Amino acid sequence: MSSALLLQSLILGLLLGGLYALLAAGLTLYFGVMRVVMIAHSAFLILAAYLAWFFTTQTGLDPLLSLIITVPLFFAAGYGMQRALLSRLRPATLTMMSVLLTFAIALVIEGGLGYLFSGTQRRIQLGYSSASLELWGARIAVVKLVAFGLAAVSLLALYLLLKKTRFGQALRATIQHREAAQLLGIDTDRIAGFGFGLGLATAAVGGTALALDATIYPSLHWHWIGPLMAIIVIGGLGSIPGAAIAAMLLGVTQALLQIPMGTTWAQTVFYLALFATLMFRPQGFFGGRLAQRF
Amino acid sequence: MSEPLLELRDIEAGYGRAALVLRGLTVTVPAGQIVCLVGPNGAGKSTVLKVASGMLTPRSGTITVDGVDVTRNGPQQMLRAGMAHVLQGHSVFKEMTVAENVGLGAYTVRDQAAVAERTDFVKTLFPVVAERWHTLAGALSGGQQKQVEFARSLMVSPKVVLLDEPSMGLDPKTTATVFEQVVRMRDAGLAVLLVEQNARRALESADLGCVLDLGKVHIAGPAADLLADPRMAELYLGGAASRLEEGKAR
Ligand SMILES: Nc1ncnc2c1ncn2[C@@H]1O[C@H](COP(=O)(O)OP(=O)(O)OP(=O)(O)O)[C@@H](O)[C@H]1O
Ligand SMILES: [Mg+2]
Repeated sequence: MSSALLLQSLILGLLLGGLYALLAAGLTLYFGVMRVVMIAHSAFLILAAYLAWFFTTQTGLDPLLSLIITVPLFFAAGYGMQRALLSRLRPATLTMMSVLLTFAIALVIEGGLGYLFSGTQRRIQLGYSSASLELWGARIAVVKLVAFGLAAVSLLALYLLLKKTRFGQALRATIQHREAAQLLGIDTDRIAGFGFGLGLATAAVGGTALALDATIYPSLHWHWIGPLMAIIVIGGLGSIPGAAIAAMLLGVTQALLQIPMGTTWAQTVFYLALFATLMFRPQGFFGGRLAQRF
Repeated sequence: MSEPLLELRDIEAGYGRAALVLRGLTVTVPAGQIVCLVGPNGAGKSTVLKVASGMLTPRSGTITVDGVDVTRNGPQQMLRAGMAHVLQGHSVFKEMTVAENVGLGAYTVRDQAAVAERTDFVKTLFPVVAERWHTLAGALSGGQQKQVEFARSLMVSPKVVLLDEPSMGLDPKTTATVFEQVVRMRDAGLAVLLVEQNARRALESADLGCVLDLGKVHIAGPAADLLADPRMAELYLGGAASRLEEGKAR
């Protein structure tokens, strides 16, 4: 294996890991805020990718501009979904029932996409689709860099929002001790709704980033949800930094394994890592210490 | 006796469709005094505080603060009416710093000058808060976390603080510190409704006392009288007094 190929895989892995990290952050928020397992997260991801594709084919504008519509739309949808559906589940069975409910939502989205856009594979054609940069012999597609940049900027924004704003403080307080937060005058129901909206907004950004560089079809979300769930368990449910670190490590491992094993088998790294985590460290690698830290 | 600041009258309350927990309970808290609520596990002590802070709406009865009816208020309105509730067990935001915890205490206060002034006040009242300002609250000892919770609850300048078993799980020395601080809160002009298992120790610090069982107040009066009351000794205080009673009976 040449060192240029190795370097190329390493960089591609890091770039992919950035997207995983953003999406896993969304999943972590749902779980942290409400103990909800959100199977439909990746379905929303594909929905956003379709919206970006549709936007570009209809207007001829850059898919990144579709974010102006999809981010607020998804935020509102997340808020509505939490308030209208998820908050009505009984606390005692919330986590289990949320799996069923969001599974149903994923199926509805997949069906809707198939109905509207057919099962045909779609891909955005851009002026810079085939452009690439060369770095010490490694070729990196520009679209992958743009996707990573988008993910990195969004993660940074999410971090600053949670860490530095009044809303972020209230959200973290709600996650960490809901009753105490309520007693300080925080409207925890609204905040939980906003937290959910924020999670879904990460799917909007992620979907746009994905659309830049991937062929999409309605059932593609099943390829994403498994790895994402594995990432948040390995990261220690509820820990955004933990999820981000696990996402980067697994993204890189996956990319490196693709060289000898091919894409399909390289995916198994997520499940192997998941089994290993459940066997040796079921609380996840960053749970407890880093859990809920931001 | 002074005018009651907080009054819970004929309160009936319970959780969901389950049986009533409070069955016609009346408790009054005068301004600037410590009222201590004692009673066995499951008597409904925490429930009284939840009703007073708006976390649980009573099925019947009235709650007044300074003569104003606040019976149907939710937690946010109760906070505005002057109630601050420190929960039983630990309720700091563990993965946030002491500074962030105390800052969140002033979540509803918009006036930054008032917040700064209040922060200085709680830092003097609870030295640990000032010393460990940048530490993650979860890394503090149980007693230190309690002080952070006290400080956080005082940021809104409440009229009444509702303290649910603040000495739970603390060693004797730290317990003494906590009771000292409760007295200092009163001396700073606050009214305190204090729930305690540590009945004898709490009644020694309190001005008034109530004994709660099965959702009703059975004995109420000046704390000193309760301490001397033979029924109290027999029922809840345990220790020397009840053994003394036994001795007499023999
Ligand atoms: N959230 C709840 N849902 C249902 N029932 C509850 C709830 N909280 C308390 N109860 C019930 O209400 C009754 C009184 O509980 P409460 O917590 O007020 O007692 P307590 O006097 O504070 O006891 P302890 O000394 O153990 O703290 C108990 O029978 C308890 O089972
Ligand atoms: Mg209690």
